[in-house]
Amino acid sequence: MIEVTNLSKTYDDIGRGRFVAVDRVSFRVGPGEVFGLLGPNGAGKTTVLRILSTMLRPTSGRVRVLGHDVVTHPAEVRRQIGFVSNNTGIYDRMSAWEMVEYFGRLNGMPRDLLRERLETLFDQLRMNDFRHVAGGKLSTGMKQKVSIARALVHDPPVLIFDEATLGLDVLVARGLLQVIRTLRDAGKCLIFSTHIMREVERLCDSIAIMHQGRILDIGSLEDLRDRHGELDFEELFFGMLSRHDQAVEMA
Amino acid sequence: MKFEHPRPRLSTVMLVYLREMRDQLRDRRTIFTIAVLPLVLYPLVGSVLLQVAQFTQEHPTSVCLIGGENLPSHPPLLAPAEASSSRALGRFADTLDEQSEGIHLVQHPLAADADPERVRAEAEEWVRSDLYHIVLWVPPGFTAAADGADQTSAASGAAALAGADALVGGESGSTAARGKSLQVFYNVASDPSRVAHQRIMRVLSAWRDQWVQERLDARGLDAAVLSPFGVETVDIAPKATRDAAFWSKLLPFVMLVWAMTGAFYPAIDLVAGEKERGTLETLLCSPALRSEIVMGKLAAVTTFSTLTAMLNVSSMLVTSLFVFRQVMPLGPDGGSMGLPPLVPMLWLLVALFPLSALFSALALAIAALARSSKEGQYYLMPLMMVSLPLVLLPLLPGTTLNAGTSLIPVTGMFLLARALVEGQYWAALIHLPLVAGVTLLCLWMATRWARRQFEDETVLFRGGEQWNLSGWVRHLWRDREGAATVGQALMCATVILVGMFFAKLVVTGGPTDWTGILQMVLLPQVGLILAPTLLMACVLTRSMRQSLRVRRPAILSLPVAVLLGVALHPTYMALGQLIQQIYPLSDAALAALQPFERIVSTAPLWQVIIVLAVVPAICEELAFRGFMFSGLVRDHGRLRAIVGTSVLFGMSHGVLQQSMAATVMGVLLAWIALRTGSILPGLLVHLTNNALSVSLGRLATSDAPWVRHFLSGDSGEPAYRLEWVLLAGCIAVLCLVYFSVVRSCEPAELGPDDGDEVNEPATAATPALAG
Repeated sequence: MIEVTNLSKTYDDIGRGRFVAVDRVSFRVGPGEVFGLLGPNGAGKTTVLRILSTMLRPTSGRVRVLGHDVVTHPAEVRRQIGFVSNNTGIYDRMSAWEMVEYFGRLNGMPRDLLRERLETLFDQLRMNDFRHVAGGKLSTGMKQKVSIARALVHDPPVLIFDEATLGLDVLVARGLLQVIRTLRDAGKCLIFSTHIMREVERLCDSIAIMHQGRILDIGSLEDLRDRHGELDFEELFFGMLSRHDQAVEMA
Repeated sequence: MKFEHPRPRLSTVMLVYLREMRDQLRDRRTIFTIAVLPLVLYPLVGSVLLQVAQFTQEHPTSVCLIGGENLPSHPPLLAPAEASSSRALGRFADTLDEQSEGIHLVQHPLAADADPERVRAEAEEWVRSDLYHIVLWVPPGFTAAADGADQTSAASGAAALAGADALVGGESGSTAARGKSLQVFYNVASDPSRVAHQRIMRVLSAWRDQWVQERLDARGLDAAVLSPFGVETVDIAPKATRDAAFWSKLLPFVMLVWAMTGAFYPAIDLVAGEKERGTLETLLCSPALRSEIVMGKLAAVTTFSTLTAMLNVSSMLVTSLFVFRQVMPLGPDGGSMGLPPLVPMLWLLVALFPLSALFSALALAIAALARSSKEGQYYLMPLMMVSLPLVLLPLLPGTTLNAGTSLIPVTGMFLLARALVEGQYWAALIHLPLVAGVTLLCLWMATRWARRQFEDETVLFRGGEQWNLSGWVRHLWRDREGAATVGQALMCATVILVGMFFAKLVVTGGPTDWTGILQMVLLPQVGLILAPTLLMACVLTRSMRQSLRVRRPAILSLPVAVLLGVALHPTYMALGQLIQQIYPLSDAALAALQPFERIVSTAPLWQVIIVLAVVPAICEELAFRGFMFSGLVRDHGRLRAIVGTSVLFGMSHGVLQQSMAATVMGVLLAWIALRTGSILPGLLVHLTNNALSVSLGRLATSDAPWVRHFLSGDSGEPAYRLEWVLLAGCIAVLCLVYFSVVRSCEPAELGPDDGDEVNEPATAATPALAG
C-alpha cells in the first residue's frame, strides 16, 4: 500500500547550512498493518510523514501510496489518506460536527452518506456530548477525537498518525490506541510515529527506528530483539542510538 | 515525469468560501471592523466635528485698536461708544460687520508723543504672546493724511480711490505710506490670528468702500464710475459634475483605503492565523487543490474587503449629509462642497469590486509569507505604503482620465470611477478597455502570486528559528549556490536603484562637454550598476559565469540578435514617439536634453558608440538579464523573471518616458535571455539598438547612397522610410520566431508549467523541522 524508496529530504538552514532531514529512507507498509516510526525529537519522522501526505516534496527518492506517486499525483494520494497530527488543527469557530462535515464534503462525499457516516463516527468515538461545541472550547482530548473523526470521515485506506498521543491524558491516549487497533482489524494501513516505546511495543506490527534522518533498523519487535540480542525494548532502542552516535563521532 | 493537472472545481471553491465566510462572521473582531466600526465611527467623528465647529464659531476674536482717537468721525469705523474708560470695549459699526458679537474689541489710547517704533514693538509682542489675535494701529495724522489725499485729488474720482487705497497699508505698505496707513499686526503662524486677520480686512475693506462712496457722492460723481463693467462667471460643468466634484475625489479615496484594510485583516486571519493554529496543515492534506483553497479564500477576503468599503462609504455619506449641512455652508450654486449625489455614487461599486479583488489577492499572498498573525500585522504598513501613491495620485490636481493614466494600476480604475460619478460616460467608455485590461492583468498576476505562495512549502512550513547576523553572514558564504537566490536578485536591484536615485540627487547641472557626458554615463553604469552586480556575483554565488548567465548560446543566435536589433529599431523608435505623444516631455526637460544631443552629435562616433551603446549594454545586461534574471527565474519563476527584470530595468532609467520604452524593451530582452539561456544575444540586441539610436542622426546626413533606402532626413529629424519600417517589422518577426524555437536554455528553466499540484522535487529552504 505504501512504498517508500530511498527517500531523502534536504533543507537550507541558516544555522546548519545544507541539512539532511531525511536520509535515504526506505520501507513498505501493507494493508492491515501498523507501522511504527520510532525516534527521538528531530529524527525526521514528521518530515517523512509530511512527504507521505504530499505537504512537502521529496528532494530525491520515490514515495507511492496505493500506486499513486506523491510528486506526480498529490491530489489522488490525499484522497487515500487520513492525517492526524499532534497539533490537532481544529477550527476554533466551528463546532465538532461542522468541522468533520466540512472535511467529509472536501472529500467529495454525498450529503446522505456523509450524514450517516458522521452519526456512526460520533457514536463510535463517543463525541455526541460535544457535537455542537465550538472547537475553541474543546479540551485537548476532545480536539484529538475531532481530529481523528476528521481523518476517518471519508474512510481512507491509509491513516497516518504523527505523534498523535502527544499531550493526551492516559485515558484518551488509551482510547486512541484502541481506535488504531480497530482500524488495523478493519484492514487499514496505518503509520504511527512516536517517541514513546510502550506504544510501539503494544501496537506496531513492524517498527523502523529513526535517528538523524536515517532508519537504523527495521523489522517486527521480535526480529529486532533477536537481531540485537536485547529483550528490553527501551535498552535496545538506546543501545542502537548510542552505537550510531559513536560511529558518527568515529567517522 | 508526468504531472497531473486537475482543474479547480467550483463546488470545492464554494465549500472553502462558505466556510471562510462563516468563520469570519463568527469572529467578533471581524464583525467589529467591517460592520460596527463604520456604523459608529462616522457619526462619532461627525458629532465631534460639529462640536469643534461650534467651538470655533463661538470663540471670539480679540482685537486691540491703538489710536482710535485718530480715526475720522465720518464714515465711522466704530459703533458709537457705550463706555468711556481708558481701555474701552467697543465694536465695529454695524454696517461694516454683520457678526460683530464674535469680535472682542479693546481700545488702547495712544499718547500724543508715543514713539512709533515702541508702539510697533509692543503691538508685535501682544500678538506674539496671544494677548490679542490682532492689533490695529491708527497712527497720528491718519485722518489728515487721508483727507489730504482726498482734497488734493478733488477733481478726480479715481484719484480719490488711490487715496483711499493708501488707508490700509498693512504689512506691504511702502515706508512713505506707512505713516499714513492703518497698520494691522497679525501672526500667520497662529490660526486664530489668521482668522482675525481675514475678518478685520473684511471690515476695513467695507469701511474704505463707504469712504470712497461718500466722497464720490459729495462731488456729485456716480459710484458706478468705479466699476465700468461687471464680470459674470458661468460654470459650464453639468450639475451632476458640480455636485460630485468634491465627493468624487474624496469617496473613492476613502473607499480604497477601506478596501485595503478590509482585505488585509481577514487575509491575515485566513492564512497566517491558520498557519499559527495548525489548521492550514489540516486543510492542505485534504484533497482540496491548492488553487481551490486559494480561490475560496480569495473570494472570502474580497467579499469582506468589498463589504468593509461599502459600509464605510455609505456610513460616511449618510453622516456627511447631516454634518456638512451644518458645518460648511453651501455655495450659492450648490458648489464644490455640495451634498453628495447618491445615485451616481453607485458607480463607485463598479471600480470597487475589481480593486477589492486585487488588494485581496495581494493581501493573501503577503499574509502567506507571515508565520503568525502578529508577523502579518507588520506587513500591512509596507503594503499600504506601496499602494497609497496609486490611490493618492488621482487626488492631485490635473490628474484626469486619459490614455496615460489608464495604464497605471488602481489609479486608472479610480479615475474611471470618478468619470462615471461625474457623468462623463463617454470618456469612461473610451478608456474602459485599457483600464479593465490593466486591472485584470494585475489581478491575474496577484492571484498567481498568491497561488504560488500556497504551493511553496518553504513559505507554508517556515521554521521559527532565531535569526542572527553572524549566522546569516556565515550562511550566505557557506551555502552559496551557482546562481543568485530570489532575495539576492532583489537586493541587487535595490542597491542599484537606490544608488541611481542618490546619484541623481547629487548631479544637478547638465553636462557641458563630451567629458561631462562621459562622466554622466560611465560613473553610474560602471560604478552603480556593474560594480555591485559583479561584487554580489563574486561574493554571494559560487559561479560568476552561471550567476551572470554568461554562457555560449547557439552560434546562429548571435547574428540573428544583431539582425533583430537593426530590424526592431524602427519599431522601438515608433514606440518612443508614441509614448512621447501620450506623455509629452515638459519644455524644461526638452531644453535640458538639447545640449546633450548637440555634444553627442559632435563627438567622435566610435567614442559615442562605446560610451552610449557598448558600455550600457554590457553593464545593464550583466545586471538585469544576468544576475537578477538568474535569481528570479529559479523555481519556475519564468514570468517573474521576465516581468521583474523588465520593470526594474525600466525603473533604472529615471525619466518616465524612457522608463516605459525600456520596460517594453526589457520584456523582449528577458524573453530572449530565457530562450537562449545566455545574456549574449540580448546584449547584442541591446547594443545594436543603442548604437543605431545614437548614430541615426549622422547616418541620415551622411552621403552614402544606400542610406537613402532606409532613412529620410527631410523633416529635420532622421526617420525611417515606411517601406523599410514594414520590411524591418517582417524581419523582426522572423528573428523572434527563430528565438522562440531555439533550444539552448537550461532544462530547469523550461520545465513543465508550474500549474496547480505540480510537485517538482526541489530543495526547500528552512521549513520547520518537527519530528
